[in-house]
Amino acid sequence: MNKELKKRGLRFYASIYFKIIAQDFKSKMSYRADFIISMLGMILTNISGFVTFYIMFQNFETINGWNYYEMLFLYGFSLIALTPMQCLFDNNWNLRYAVYDGSFIKYCFRPINIFFYFISEVFDVKGLGQLLMGSLTLGYAWHNLGLQMTVGKAFLLVAALLTGSLFMIAIMNLAAATCFWLVNSGFVMVTMFKFTEYARYPVTIFQGIFRGLFTFVIPIAFVAYYPSYIFLRPGLPVLTCLSPLFGIFFFWVSYRVWMLGASRYSGTGN
Amino acid sequence: MKKKIWKYLTLLRVGILEEMQFRLGAVTKLFGNIIYLIIIYFLWKAIFAGAPTEVVNGMTFEDTMIYLVLASALFYTMEMYVTWDMGRRIKSGDIVVDFLRPMGYIKFQVLSLSGNTIVSAVTSLLPTMIIVYLITGGGFALSCNLLFFTAAIMIGTVLNYFINFFVGTICFYTESIWGINIMKEVIVLLLSGASIPLAFFPETLQKVVYYLPFQAIYNTPLKLLIDNSLSLQSRMSMLGLQLFWTVVVGCISYAFFKISVRRITVNGG
Repeated sequence: MNKELKKRGLRFYASIYFKIIAQDFKSKMSYRADFIISMLGMILTNISGFVTFYIMFQNFETINGWNYYEMLFLYGFSLIALTPMQCLFDNNWNLRYAVYDGSFIKYCFRPINIFFYFISEVFDVKGLGQLLMGSLTLGYAWHNLGLQMTVGKAFLLVAALLTGSLFMIAIMNLAAATCFWLVNSGFVMVTMFKFTEYARYPVTIFQGIFRGLFTFVIPIAFVAYYPSYIFLRPGLPVLTCLSPLFGIFFFWVSYRVWMLGASRYSGTGN
Repeated sequence: MKKKIWKYLTLLRVGILEEMQFRLGAVTKLFGNIIYLIIIYFLWKAIFAGAPTEVVNGMTFEDTMIYLVLASALFYTMEMYVTWDMGRRIKSGDIVVDFLRPMGYIKFQVLSLSGNTIVSAVTSLLPTMIIVYLITGGGFALSCNLLFFTAAIMIGTVLNYFINFFVGTICFYTESIWGINIMKEVIVLLLSGASIPLAFFPETLQKVVYYLPFQAIYNTPLKLLIDNSLSLQSRMSMLGLQLFWTVVVGCISYAFFKISVRRITVNGG
């Protein structure tokens, strides 16, 4: 945790967060049609992902030993794990513009954590459409796989989803932070975001260095595959057990890099 | 007449120069494309490894890869940001400037986009085709199918433009550029066969897709290039269908645009 955050206390930050978000909501609600269309766009995107699986499994019975419902499980899981990044950390997409045109300087002059202030400015409502589709898909897969639901399992599921989210957020934090060093860094974010689309496939389809790459360098394997392993397969891989710790560590690293970039920021012009 | 052609050629040249300016963009595209290809290679390899037979729906792993690699190269070649651009320019009001040009808005856009496409075709599609040809040892024939392929790309680009243009025109009615765009992208990608070859679609869905204009963008050129079993007649009718869709979508877009332009409201004086 950052020193300032400790000094101020979580309650202080929570109350500020809701104040900032409320402003964002007010401005968004004045474009109601935009809200509905964006939501529809999000849902359509997720439906198309579903249709893709449906078409694939019309022709093939398994993908690398995973059947239709197991793949849907991974898909639904990855959609839910994406939601916190989509809803809460969406302002990362605007970071490079703010840095480029100099408006980022305003965040440096507030007596609160820069990362916190910047990120809390936007809450992306359409991410909730993703949450809805993800939950429906996961529930459908869960039901058809005949899995049991117990208190323990529910607790595990939430923990696993949070783990996946941490990786997701950390990847995009790092991608966004590149703009402090690179001028034209939009493509880094776009490319990384595309990678996360493949988080829905089991990492075991990749061979050799690519499996290593997607496990340890761009850890999309931890977004859905490793955290959801406990529900789908017997046994417990070491990486699944370690994934929450990795997730917290990776998120912390991404936060430090982001802050390091922000501290290097010297504004544009004088 | 001569003056007119000169004007068109100049615009085409501007489009070519514009595309060549953004070399970083081209490198980015290439990089993104390579990674995408690596991922789909592993993905489809895993998929085919689990299949009981080597040929699924008349396609082997190699056929599928040839199709998808070329589809992705074609996708990057034809990629255009008409919808985003129009949306942004409508929102800011800059679109008025485009209307003041001494040339029709559509003509102007088609010409400069054609310039962009030509550069992308030479810098990304052509190398990809050569690589695919060398790796597969003649994965597609080198005869008149290349002519059909070229013609189909040209028509497909214009059709793609008109679809983009139609969706861009919707931005006169709403400021939700992101939502409109994402819907278009999802529908075109899925139904054009760019992400999954249409041969894998269930029969009923396949029939539906063939009655829609989207498959004429990517699937028609690719089929004309890869499928050697097509007769001259069916090749001609495929091109004809593509042309038909281009004219139909073009007319609808044009009419829609003419009606929508009247409603334009630009903020500020």
